[in-house]
Amino acid sequence: MANARALDKRRKSIRNIKKITRTMELIATARFKKAMDRATAASDYTRRITAVVSDLARAGLEVSHPLLEAPDKSTDATLLVLTGNRGLCGGYNGNALRLGMKSRETLIEQAENVTLEVSGKRGINGFKFRDIEADESFTQFDDQPEYAEVEKIANRYLAAYEAGKLHRLDVTYTKFHSVAKQEIVTETLLPLGKIEGADTPVDPDAESSGESLYEFVPSAESILEEVVPTSFRIKLFKCFLDAAVSEQVARMIAMKSATEAANDMIKDLSRTYNRARQSQITGEIMEVIGGVEALEG
Amino acid sequence: MANIGKITQVIGSTFDAEFSADQLPPIYNAVTAEIDTGGDKRTLYGEISKHLGGGRVRCVALGSTEGLRRGADCVDTGAPVSVPVGDATLGRVFNMLGEPVDGGESLDQVEKRSIHRPAPAVAELSTNTELFETGIKVVDLLTPFVRGGKAGLFGGAGLGKTVILTELIARIASQHGGYSVFAGVGERTREGTDLWLEMQEAKIGDTGRSVIEQTAMVFGQMNEPPGARLRVALSALTMAEHFRDSTGADTLLFVDNIFRFSQAGSEVSALLGRMPSAVGYQPTLATEMGALQERIASTNKGAITSVQAVYVPADDPTDPAPATAFGQLDAFLYLERSISEKGIYPAVDPLASSSRILDPAYVGDHHYAVARKVQTTLQRYRELQDIIAILGVDELSEEDKTVVHRARRIERFLSQPFYVAEVFTGKAGEFTSLADTIRSFEELCDGKWDHLPEDAFMYVGAIEQAEEQAKKMAAKA
Repeated sequence: MANARALDKRRKSIRNIKKITRTMELIATARFKKAMDRATAASDYTRRITAVVSDLARAGLEVSHPLLEAPDKSTDATLLVLTGNRGLCGGYNGNALRLGMKSRETLIEQAENVTLEVSGKRGINGFKFRDIEADESFTQFDDQPEYAEVEKIANRYLAAYEAGKLHRLDVTYTKFHSVAKQEIVTETLLPLGKIEGADTPVDPDAESSGESLYEFVPSAESILEEVVPTSFRIKLFKCFLDAAVSEQVARMIAMKSATEAANDMIKDLSRTYNRARQSQITGEIMEVIGGVEALEG
Repeated sequence: MANIGKITQVIGSTFDAEFSADQLPPIYNAVTAEIDTGGDKRTLYGEISKHLGGGRVRCVALGSTEGLRRGADCVDTGAPVSVPVGDATLGRVFNMLGEPVDGGESLDQVEKRSIHRPAPAVAELSTNTELFETGIKVVDLLTPFVRGGKAGLFGGAGLGKTVILTELIARIASQHGGYSVFAGVGERTREGTDLWLEMQEAKIGDTGRSVIEQTAMVFGQMNEPPGARLRVALSALTMAEHFRDSTGADTLLFVDNIFRFSQAGSEVSALLGRMPSAVGYQPTLATEMGALQERIASTNKGAITSVQAVYVPADDPTDPAPATAFGQLDAFLYLERSISEKGIYPAVDPLASSSRILDPAYVGDHHYAVARKVQTTLQRYRELQDIIAILGVDELSEEDKTVVHRARRIERFLSQPFYVAEVFTGKAGEFTSLADTIRSFEELCDGKWDHLPEDAFMYVGAIEQAEEQAKKMAAKA
């Protein structure tokens, strides 16, 4: 039987860990709600933007834009991996890192120059441990990514793409479906291919009438010039938002199960401790009685 | 003229006798008494262990006291119990009194020696320190045995102490040119018989002679009264000492199980009127253990290398009996239940076990560095175990993940197929040379074999066999 004092000490330290995980769980829950609200708001905006594009399409225009078409070359590619700045969120960072590594390898097979960009300290360190230095890294994104910050990055990609220095952009991030389901994916954001939802009309009645609800001033083309890059920016922003929400959900769940595991462990240790303590007492009583008997006999 | 006294009292496995006050036999002298239980006659031996005052003495019975009567004659033999020594004892099986129990011819005419002797003097002790290779990876790497030293196998019930001990006999005795003495102290009689039969079959190297021809065995098993179990180790030791002193050859002494020696002492202690000490053991626990262990020593005449099994009651190594034995040993292997529960045998705890000669001065810098590296890896893994249990393995830093990955492989690689366990594992025993062992563990620590699945490391010899096993597993899947 182990030393009762050592068991008690261990139990105390696990109690402290439990306190931390329980607090982290509560914080993650609160942060998750905020992040979730932002993500919902952003998706409303995304929907409106696609509605506008959809209307443009139905205005009889051929939707064509350099961002939408695959470039002739595919030698320069960039992979952006979104991870968290902090740990204690279960497999969130590990999974992103694992898929990021894999995506990077497949990308290297397809393109000559692959640049790696990583967001989040965990990801940066993870790649560094495997002797891969990120070409660009960001640590400013936490549970509430700023649009202004994301826009800067998006504009850099757009500029590079238009200048022909970038032919493909992949993003590895954790897609948020629901509290119960998050999925780690690698999506190709550039070339945009086609704008999602562009074929589905917002208003079925408007389609049958064959007329647009809008008038385009000065022209539909100039608006397209504006809308397509914005759509890309929004998409990238959505990736960041999804990643942030997923991180909080992952942390919430990880901390919850950690608290439970700590509870189980405390229970086990308490049982062993009580038994050790009792057997120590029994042993001592027996010794005293034995001693008395021996003296009398 | 024989000194004859009378039995005055019988208390369990001890009895009192009264001699005339001017012919009081000294302590440790053997006395005999005739017992006649309805036509079945036998002689009971006793050993004087206390003078009660006047002419009265208290004796520990070395056999069963059933049928012993008050008033019966008690004869002082004039000397302590003596056992036959020398070449005549080879190939034979004895009881604690030195009587053959294998049904062979009696050994009345051979030289006998008293089982009570002083330990060798300080100046006679040998200071030579040399590693003793066993071919068992975990032993050679982490707890190297000393030639002419003492090694202990500590473990709770059913962890495989006896299996490791018989394995060591199979490995060492079969390659060893010198003599071996086996002492069975308070363990199962069946195991003793098994061992005796195995030794008759086993051959020494290529000489065609069986191991038993170089071995003497002394048994005082569980069925014997405490007095016999208390002294049987001394009988065996006396034979071993004679081989050491007279032939100068390397002598091996195996004891299974030294804890029973302490236990027998505690059984008679209260009957002798001593007050029980911690956990009910005899107050003279350390003295008794010291007197025995100090005699198991290598002198400048010859060496005794001894391997002792030590039972750890209730898996508690702080129990006084194992704790006292612990201090006497050069190398000790601690068998851990949690490891045997994982199915890893030998279930040696690599962190709790150690050896005096695991030191760069004796084993060399390279061996020492590899052993330390293995231990630090396993130590770190053990520290991380609570964190893994609470937070999961994903929360570990990249460095720690690698440590865990390797530690789990090292843990499994410490298992090894045994010659004596072939019938259970279905795998032939493996002798892994020390050089192979060190190289294997070094490569494992350096991450050369990170790609192999964990199960490939179970029950193999050198690291190349793990690779082979991985291939076989892949082919099967």
